[in-house]
Amino acid sequence: MKSRLSHPFVQALLILAVAYLLFRFGIAYIPPLLGVKSAPVPHTVLLQYMLTVAVGVLLYVSATEDRWRAFKAPIQRVLVDPSQRLYRLALLVTVPLLAGFITYRQVRPSVEAPPNLRSIHPAPPSTITFRGKTMTLAGLENPLRKEGNLRDHVEEGRRVYYQNCVACHGDQLNGKGHFAHGFNPPPADFTDNGTIPQLTESFVFWRIAKGGRGLPKEGTPWNSAMPAWEDFLTEREIWAVIIFLYDQTGWTPRTWDTAEGGAR
Amino acid sequence: MSARLAGTAALLVALAAAPAAGQQAPAGKAIYEKWCAGCHGSDGKGDGPAASTMLPRPRDFTRALFKVRTTSSGSVPTDADLRHVIDDGMPGSAMPGWTDVLSESDRDALVQYIKTFSTAFQQKPDVVAFSKAPPENAAAIEDGRRTYEKLECFKCHGRAARGDGPSASTQEDDSHFPIRPANLEENWRFRGGGSVEDIYRRLRTGLDGTPMPSFNDMLAAKVVTDEQLWHVAQYVRSLSPKEPPEPPEVIRARLVEGRLPTSPDDSAWNVAERAYIPLVGQVIIKPRWFSPAVDAVWVQALHNGRDLAIRLVWDDRSRSPDPRWSEWQRRVTEVMGPKEDSAAAPAAATSGTSGSDAAPPAPADRASPAGATPAVPALGDAFAVQFPREIPQGMERPYFLMGDARNPVYLWYWRSDAPAAVEATARGLANITPIPGPSTLRSQAVFDRGQWRLVLTRPLAAPGGGDRLTLVQGEAIPIAFFAWDGSNGESGTKGAVSAWYHVYLDEPTPKTVYTTPIATAALTAGFGILVVARAQRREKQGGSKGD
Ligand code: HEC
Ligand code: HEC
Ligand code: HEC
Repeated sequence: MKSRLSHPFVQALLILAVAYLLFRFGIAYIPPLLGVKSAPVPHTVLLQYMLTVAVGVLLYVSATEDRWRAFKAPIQRVLVDPSQRLYRLALLVTVPLLAGFITYRQVRPSVEAPPNLRSIHPAPPSTITFRGKTMTLAGLENPLRKEGNLRDHVEEGRRVYYQNCVACHGDQLNGKGHFAHGFNPPPADFTDNGTIPQLTESFVFWRIAKGGRGLPKEGTPWNSAMPAWEDFLTEREIWAVIIFLYDQTGWTPRTWDTAEGGAR
Repeated sequence: MSARLAGTAALLVALAAAPAAGQQAPAGKAIYEKWCAGCHGSDGKGDGPAASTMLPRPRDFTRALFKVRTTSSGSVPTDADLRHVIDDGMPGSAMPGWTDVLSESDRDALVQYIKTFSTAFQQKPDVVAFSKAPPENAAAIEDGRRTYEKLECFKCHGRAARGDGPSASTQEDDSHFPIRPANLEENWRFRGGGSVEDIYRRLRTGLDGTPMPSFNDMLAAKVVTDEQLWHVAQYVRSLSPKEPPEPPEVIRARLVEGRLPTSPDDSAWNVAERAYIPLVGQVIIKPRWFSPAVDAVWVQALHNGRDLAIRLVWDDRSRSPDPRWSEWQRRVTEVMGPKEDSAAAPAAATSGTSGSDAAPPAPADRASPAGATPAVPALGDAFAVQFPREIPQGMERPYFLMGDARNPVYLWYWRSDAPAAVEATARGLANITPIPGPSTLRSQAVFDRGQWRLVLTRPLAAPGGGDRLTLVQGEAIPIAFFAWDGSNGESGTKGAVSAWYHVYLDEPTPKTVYTTPIATAALTAGFGILVVARAQRREKQGGSKGD
């Protein structure tokens, strides 16, 4: 058993198999076990990774003359040894069939939607005009945090949120409101650590005020159902609903000085 | 060691000190205020800030009328019933399930807290004894269909069970809000769940607070047997698909030989895949609409290389305009009316209550003697299929809500009160201008027992040019859908909308799809034989040389 494992050919096969499994399934399923979101690797990327590993394996097996010979030996045997005739034939039949099949999968007409690559948090503009008033986003703080009673602002934000946002973002703030299934991209899930905890309140203000249509091209503004709330809400109401979003989810906004946020 | 013992002791003390079931209310209150009050209101009256944007409205707990129970009509629900709705939510309404957000003990605490809103809960729930389901087979379902007729379910739910019965337009719930009899072809939207058992239970218990009765009395009077009620439930279940439908990203238009079906009921449509496209209220642009009557459209497409035909099937309880529905239209417009003026320029100065009006109109005012009810406009039903004017090369396309002035969209726009569908350009939602000149778009529609079936056909080439899209095979073409039910007060921006999807016209399969793989296989085989031959020749030579 041990001797077999130390055979370079077997080692090479093992490395390739383990690498494939890791890239194909590991990347998608292991991080979630640790509480980190992940997604499957696209096929083209998988191919690139596997090629890299294959080159590495080749370098490894050809590093010393002995190992290279040992690595080639089983291949050579299958190619010439009379006792391996059946193997040889089987490979000569199956490998071309496989190649043909893979080609077929490549060339057959596909009915897939064109890829929709969307930047979720594109760079915001430096200034916006909100109902005729110019606002500079860099360094902009939520004025309500320095004024009055925070609980009052939360309650004001709660009213704004329930009257205007629940249908899409949901009363659980998870983007699963009762109209959410009609839209693509789906409404943002504020309980996800990839949304509001990554953002400054001024960025969130821009997104709420200008909505999907205010996004730059890389944000695919033509698809987003996010309304431009400057048509419905006052500046104060938007700051209040932002306070509510953070309060209800327990996230903290990213701040200008530390560029850190998120802690629940 | 002793420290651990002490820790355990402290834990035990803490456990013992935990409030007993009856005293959980305060714990429930905090959770209720945080997660439920926005809809159900702080006092449980169903009047939270979100209430006026929903139909059915959030439940008013002070009335103690609950839809999903295992108890007899008029009785309060059991704790388990309340836990069930809190866990699973009420499909087809705004009430979500809470298992992801709230712990089991939180949900139990909420059950207890909800019960504090009404003294009715001092009575014990009167639990109904349910029987076991009889076997399900064709005969049972046929018996269920007959019993459905006999019990006159069709009066509310309609002959084809799409919620369009003769009395559908006059239904209201106990708080006088208009209520739609369920569309029994969509079991995934049943409040109490869509399984045979769920349906049977609703038939036994009724949905309290709604016109949907309990059939327990009929059972007692021997008008119907328990087994027959099971059969009705099995019949109702059989009207919906096995699994709730999922929308595809791409609607496929198959390539067929010869003539395309132009009639909506042509059997030639059977070969076309059916795509389910959900529609939701237009809640993005003023005036918004929160209570769309059409919740989905089933789309099929076929082409023959010259023409494209699209069949659209959507459920709509009324063939509008229909005077029998004008009272419904008036009521829905009154309770769901747009929360903002259509002419509204940004409501700049109005702070505080912008967005939505705060209080729902008091339903009691409806009976106010103050004279004549205002007339409602006679609105037809309408449907629009939206395309870009050109197939986009990159990702960019027009704004999904009918484009804008800079990047308009091309529409196939059909109205029930117009002789035929027209081609149109839209520059923003409901800003629709028919394209002048002769049109090659053909349409045929039928209205049948609560359902519109519409076929739209047009040549792939767009002879008229202008804003008309040239349809191309083998490319994903963006497509979106809009529906309006006139009797529900819908027109303009008030209607149901979809996201962008794609329609794909199949190409005749090119020969290379078969020849390329065969060539690859042959080449690989040839290469393999070469390698083997070379290796063997070398081996022989090497052997003879005695390597
Ligand atoms: C019609 C549905 C709809 C409504 C109503 C709606 N949103 Fe959105 N919202 C979306 C969609 C879809 C997205 C994701 C696409 C995007 O980023 O534009 C989004 C994104 C956002 C984002 C960006 C999150 C991020 O991580 O970048 C914020 C913030 C937001 N919404 C806040 C709100 C607030 C506050 C309201 C209520 C005043 C609201 N939305 C109402 C659909 C909606
Ligand atoms: C987004 C708004 C919304 C929120 C938030 C909400 N509900 Fe509801 N709820 C509704 C609506 C709407 C209905 C009525 C549905 C219907 O009648 O078909 C309802 C109905 C109910 C019912 C009645 C069930 C029955 O059998 O009739 C209960 C109980 C209930 N909700 C409990 C809760 C609890 C507990 C919470 C908080 C954890 C909550 N709801 C949060 C919207 C909401
Ligand atoms: C007087 C009118 C009326 C009659 C008669 C009636 N229904 Fe209903 N039914 C309704 C209404 C209204 C609703 C919608 C209730 C709601 O939305 O909460 C409903 C809902 C339902 C539902 C959905 C239950 C759920 O969980 O949401 C089913 C199933 C149903 N009815 C079946 C029947 C059957 C079967 C019969 C005859 C045996 C029948 N109904 C007779 C008015 C009626």
